[in-house]
Amino acid sequence: MRYSRYMIFLYAAMLGVPLLLYIRIVSSIYGLAFLSSVLLAAAGAGLVIFGIIGFDEVYAHKGSSAASIAVVPDAQRPVKHMNRAAVHGAEGSRTVAFRIRRFDAESGSLSWRSYMLEADRLTTVLGALVELREKQDPTLSMRYSCRMGICGSCGMVINGKPSLACETNVFDSMTGGEVAVEPMYGHPLLKGLVTDFDDFFEKHISVNPWIYRKGGGKFNSDKVFGQSREQTDRFLPYSYCIMCGLCQDACPVANANPDFLGPQALSQVYRYHADSRDQRGDARIFDVDTANGVWGCEFAGACSKVCPKGVDPAAAIQLLKGELFNTVAEC
Amino acid sequence: MDIIEYDALILGSGIAGMTAALHAELESGGRLHIALVSKTHAMRSHSVAAEGGISGVLYPGQNADSEELHAYDTVKGSDYLADQDAVERLVRSAPREIKFFEHIGVPWNRDAHGRISERAFGGMSVPRTAFAADKTGFFMMRALYDEITAHKGIEVLHEHLVTSLIMDRGRFLGLYAIDMATGKPLLLRARACVIATGGFARVYGFTTTSYSSTGDGIALAYEAGLPLKDMEFVQFHPTALVPSGILITEAARGEGGYLVNSEGKRFMADYARSKMELAPRDIISRAIISEIGAGRGMKHRESGLDYVNLDLRHLDSRIIDERLPMIRDITNKMLHLDPGRELIPVRPAAHFTMGGIHTDIDGRVMLGPAGRAASGLWAAGECACVSVHGANRLGSNSLSQCAVWGRIVGEGIARYAARHHAVEEVRMLKKRAEAEEGRINGMLEGDGHEDPYAIMGAMRLTMDRYLYVYRTRSGMARAVKELRALRSRLRNIRVKDRGRIYNSNLKDAIELWNLLHLACAVAESAVRRKESRGAHFVLEHPERDDRKWLEHTVIMKGLGGNRVSYIPVRVSKWKPEKRVY
Repeated sequence: MRYSRYMIFLYAAMLGVPLLLYIRIVSSIYGLAFLSSVLLAAAGAGLVIFGIIGFDEVYAHKGSSAASIAVVPDAQRPVKHMNRAAVHGAEGSRTVAFRIRRFDAESGSLSWRSYMLEADRLTTVLGALVELREKQDPTLSMRYSCRMGICGSCGMVINGKPSLACETNVFDSMTGGEVAVEPMYGHPLLKGLVTDFDDFFEKHISVNPWIYRKGGGKFNSDKVFGQSREQTDRFLPYSYCIMCGLCQDACPVANANPDFLGPQALSQVYRYHADSRDQRGDARIFDVDTANGVWGCEFAGACSKVCPKGVDPAAAIQLLKGELFNTVAEC
Repeated sequence: MDIIEYDALILGSGIAGMTAALHAELESGGRLHIALVSKTHAMRSHSVAAEGGISGVLYPGQNADSEELHAYDTVKGSDYLADQDAVERLVRSAPREIKFFEHIGVPWNRDAHGRISERAFGGMSVPRTAFAADKTGFFMMRALYDEITAHKGIEVLHEHLVTSLIMDRGRFLGLYAIDMATGKPLLLRARACVIATGGFARVYGFTTTSYSSTGDGIALAYEAGLPLKDMEFVQFHPTALVPSGILITEAARGEGGYLVNSEGKRFMADYARSKMELAPRDIISRAIISEIGAGRGMKHRESGLDYVNLDLRHLDSRIIDERLPMIRDITNKMLHLDPGRELIPVRPAAHFTMGGIHTDIDGRVMLGPAGRAASGLWAAGECACVSVHGANRLGSNSLSQCAVWGRIVGEGIARYAARHHAVEEVRMLKKRAEAEEGRINGMLEGDGHEDPYAIMGAMRLTMDRYLYVYRTRSGMARAVKELRALRSRLRNIRVKDRGRIYNSNLKDAIELWNLLHLACAVAESAVRRKESRGAHFVLEHPERDDRKWLEHTVIMKGLGGNRVSYIPVRVSKWKPEKRVY
């Protein structure tokens, strides 16, 4: 039996059992009905509140866990921000404290260092970090490339939130006059702010993220396959994924269970499944009809909250669940 | 040192490189073991930043368009420096490539009938640029990367920095690479190699390009003694965002945007009366700098940069949402402004390097200015100079160039690898690899005192100052002197980070080495060209001189310094005429 069938029973049980119990209570012990409904409502409200704030709590904890700040004395001198080409006598700039948590590859340990950097109202966190590497500390390893939010290189945790450094404004993100920068802990640490993406890419590749066509035609046809605008719109939002890894970093399930496919790969399953040019059919979604596939998702929604491109992987996963239910209903 | 054997190597993972890998795999029927070697994660190469679209005549006859007209526009746009046989091949092949990308998943914008839409672009007589919103390069990259994962013959080596191209008597032997994740050196051997590492606009400080656009493959070829062509021609994109240099696509003007000066006037009327804001980029960039020079620019408060404004306020907001969403997103996030209601500050920035590795029309790397091509070595994309763009590239011709020559060289290496056996020569390869290892270790363990970032900053300043939109003979001479002085300091580079694992300090130093040699080649090529053509405008010689200079510049490493020579442009159908828009 396919996994989605078990899930139907499970979901039914989750909804049905409390309901049956409730009716039982109401009918047999009449006087306690009011109390039990209050209890049920309170439990429901508790779940909702946890769902909303739970994710932020997780990250707030991560951010504050390192108490010791090692200050490097010779790195205290402020420098002029030159990352944006020929800047002469910047106006409206001020000095901002940066705390950077970096991974030491040799000792395998994490430690904080503080730096003072100049920023103005347009300075991005990436701009400030590049400046830092060029003027103060070139040993800070990091990934960055396009600095315009499209290559997906500079994912990191900024003041507790997984973000692209190039799209994060320094003044907007400051809390208490400082900016805290950490590597993404949801991926194995490599060095400095750099994390290892091998496993993340493997998961992406494992869902066969490409257009499948029956017979030939894909590589040797001179005819377009064609698509209406409505058909394009079905998958378009999910094709914005830049593979930056932030959703995977934010996902509480992925952090607890390394075998979970994760929001990025699953969103790409939907992206190709919803594309009218793809002919792989339901086989594509049956592949992720597993405990570590779509059913691993607990709908915390953290992935969609941090996605810098508005992909909404959480929605994609629920849509996949819906498609799977539909295929069950049809049998 | 580990030696890894492949049948073919593709160096660079942009649109040209991944297209080459894919077509090599398809042409060989999956029989080749191909490595796609990238210094970044493969899907993050600078091609992702291409915005506006890809040119190609999808609908001949519509608006009286034809491949012939596309070719004419390209030749005229190139200021007659393009090789016309190459241009004809580009325009003939481009439509097929757009359809190919439709097959592998690009979400092209479409009209009400579901046909791929085409938009207007600079220097193009009629709309013939297919697009996927303003993220065309990104969507093509994602489609390519995803498609490549379906082909098991292609092994992707993410974050492998290649520092040496090893040749022997005109034949490709292998590549020396550093695996960034471990810091370990690798020797990659194969029968054939494609260089597709992109351009080098990062020699400038104010540039639209990614930090990764450091021209590594061009510098590798130069160091291996191979010729570079037309290095003086650097395209300045007229509309780069102030102060970051982030690209605001030409499609913003293709969709109807205006350029206005401090008086609110559409100044392009004075420079290109018929094409206005859709004149070629060299002309608009000069117009902007002229306006600023005449005191009709504005000064940016934070950066002190002078600029003019791009006005999109009169565009329907649906057009911005559907066709320019990234422009809205970028101006919003970077400048906190709404392009539907406010003006966008822009100025010209280094954008595309027309020059590069000298190849023949099939993308084979040449061994000298004329004569024989190298065995087993190809180049494609921005790093190669075929040349289709001549002295000035038209917008949206770069993606078609990458797709077209990506396929040509991919099929080329597959056929070559089927006919040739692996070179048995290992001794020479090992010797060269050991020498390279010595150079790298010298940087890591040596006691140099030169700060690579200081040299980098000085280089960018020199390029921004003397080799920008307008050039003077004295300025270019000064640039040559300054850059050579900087180059001599490379020997004593200090890499502060002594670790092996993900040493981005070492990567920066190697990229600086590459950039600085290319910057010297640009300045030395530029100072010799005593005319103005396309992107190369010399105030003392403001006219094009077809009698003396209808020639490509070829520069290569010589014993005492660079050797410069000239080869004629291949002119077939279109004789040079006055270039008016």
